[in-house]
Amino acid sequence: MLNGFKNPGRVALVGSNSEIGLAIISQLPENNARELLLVGRSGEFALDVTDKAGRERVVADLFSQGDLDVAVIAVGLLGNNPELNATDNLLATMEVNYVGTIHLVELIAERMKSQAHGQILIISSFAQVRPRPDNYGYGSTKAGLDFYARGLASALEGTGVSIKILRPGFVQSKMTVGMESAPFAITAEECGRYGVAALTSKKLVTWAPSLLKYVALVFRSLPPVIFRKISQR
Amino acid sequence: MPTTNLEVFSGWGNNFHSIANRQSGFGIEALQSFVADAKSVRGLLAAGLFRSYGDSALNSGGTLLDLSSLNSISIEESSGVAIVGAGVTITQLEQAALKHSLFPPVVPGTGFVTMGGAIAADIHGKSHHQTGTFSACLRRIRLLLSSGAIVDYTPSDVEFWATVGGLGLTGVVLEAELQLRKVAGNTAEVTERRVKNLGEMIDLLGGADTDFEHTVAWIDLSGDYKGRGVVSLGNYGTTSVKTKESKSSGPKLPSIAGKNFITPLSVRAFNEMWYRKPLKNGPVALGKYMHPLDGVNEWNNIYGSAGFLQYQFVIDIGKEEIFEKLFAGLRSLKAASFLGVLKKFGERSLSPLSFPRAGWTLTLDYSTSVPGLEKFLSEFDEELVAAGGRIYLIKDSRVSPTLIPLMYPELNKWREIRRTMDPKGLWQSDQARRLHLC
Repeated sequence: MLNGFKNPGRVALVGSNSEIGLAIISQLPENNARELLLVGRSGEFALDVTDKAGRERVVADLFSQGDLDVAVIAVGLLGNNPELNATDNLLATMEVNYVGTIHLVELIAERMKSQAHGQILIISSFAQVRPRPDNYGYGSTKAGLDFYARGLASALEGTGVSIKILRPGFVQSKMTVGMESAPFAITAEECGRYGVAALTSKKLVTWAPSLLKYVALVFRSLPPVIFRKISQR
Repeated sequence: MPTTNLEVFSGWGNNFHSIANRQSGFGIEALQSFVADAKSVRGLLAAGLFRSYGDSALNSGGTLLDLSSLNSISIEESSGVAIVGAGVTITQLEQAALKHSLFPPVVPGTGFVTMGGAIAADIHGKSHHQTGTFSACLRRIRLLLSSGAIVDYTPSDVEFWATVGGLGLTGVVLEAELQLRKVAGNTAEVTERRVKNLGEMIDLLGGADTDFEHTVAWIDLSGDYKGRGVVSLGNYGTTSVKTKESKSSGPKLPSIAGKNFITPLSVRAFNEMWYRKPLKNGPVALGKYMHPLDGVNEWNNIYGSAGFLQYQFVIDIGKEEIFEKLFAGLRSLKAASFLGVLKKFGERSLSPLSFPRAGWTLTLDYSTSVPGLEKFLSEFDEELVAAGGRIYLIKDSRVSPTLIPLMYPELNKWREIRRTMDPKGLWQSDQARRLHLC
């Protein structure tokens, strides 16, 4: 339950390997009744995100010991596994980032609806703004997830459950090690602060950093020729 | 027929917002079958006027039973016994009783509390050092259990004591039989004295126990935090004054754009004025004396949309040094309290979860937007527990659940009795979930 300062008590991080996710939950405002539930490849709430029955079991477990106040959804693949070819990478990314994640959010939202309170913070990406030749597969999964999250947010109005979307740009983390840094890059810790702010924000979408909101506007309005040139840089 | 409405509810502190179904318009039989047939996983809870400060009367995703239809009052003048419906308020009971020159011996600081709420919280008043808690004037309670059965309990039953102070988690109080006391007029004979610091306040309050049935002190916790204030001592008077009978008294304080008007400066100014105000000496109408804040409706709006919390604890006589620590900490946080109340309690009741017990009780109000307040109070809780103190659950919004069994050592005993009364776990509240009470 939230306490009287509106700070969450029981919090789940789905994707316990995510540096952004960990940065968010470690910077949440204090609550002396805080319980952190970590859903990941191993541990108490072990989950293979591509396993449908596993998803159902883990979500049931998350709610079995009490109400869940916040779920941070931080599962995701970039689609750059060197052991897989491009098509298999794309399939795996779709399975995890889209199918698995959305099913998890559905299950969590359903439970939160019956408790009539709760927040789901979904980590989207700047990559969903406009397709780029180097990451449109990944971008499409995040675009799909983002679209779904916005729809779910309005469907949940009046239920006590709210959806928040965090759209980070380039975040320096182990997920992006070896990749060329992009403009407006931030650290996972900084991104975590934006995530925490998203939870108390009245707005549905929070950009990390905030300036990306305007960068996205520019990106979307650039003529294709110029956009291609920029994104091939 | 009962009606259902999905609504957003808050406690008096306005710091929780909870969506629940409100079921109202019950007769006893309809209520009985509604409860017996209830299958909701989020459970049921009887709720009155939402004067508990935090989440004691909230039940997110569940059902709140509105029992305002149980509003009958019958009083036998010769014996002073009243049989009162659960939805009757303290003020209504007082007004009805005064017509027979009677008065409830225990009333809280607000008259806008229902009988059900008064029992669930085992409320206390300025008379605690002599009369004990509300339970002391109860002769019998009629309870609706989750099975649908209606049972009467008296102070010789463990179920009675589990229900008194039991936060509505043992069943629904339908009616109560109370012993009222005789009064000669409708006033209290009041003496007020200004004191310069906490030490003087403690001396004066501590020495007034036997001579005065009502003792309480307003304490100024702002500025130098030395604890100056006004001690108010009273006994039932013999004179009567003209009073107007009304359901809701006074003007309503509106919410102004959700703003919080309680700042260190405004509290300082208010407290300075309050400290200097002319002292009362003489008869004061009982309603006004017992419920000074009821003159302004919805005064809780003054804290704005962030809401506020009330922190009330009790500490043994002889452990007064804990006040110094508290005051120093609050001073460093610049946390100024607009409503500070100190009172000396008498002996405890037999209820496992009832709050009052012999010692000093201090009550403070704070906006939840005071930076660092949460951390400070969490640390102070630990010191309080180490010194053998405890906090009042009906006021709580933020205590750690791990401290509850230390503050209330009879919690497990209460849980066992509760389980026999509600084996299906129908009675639930947000506070019970937050503090793992059941």
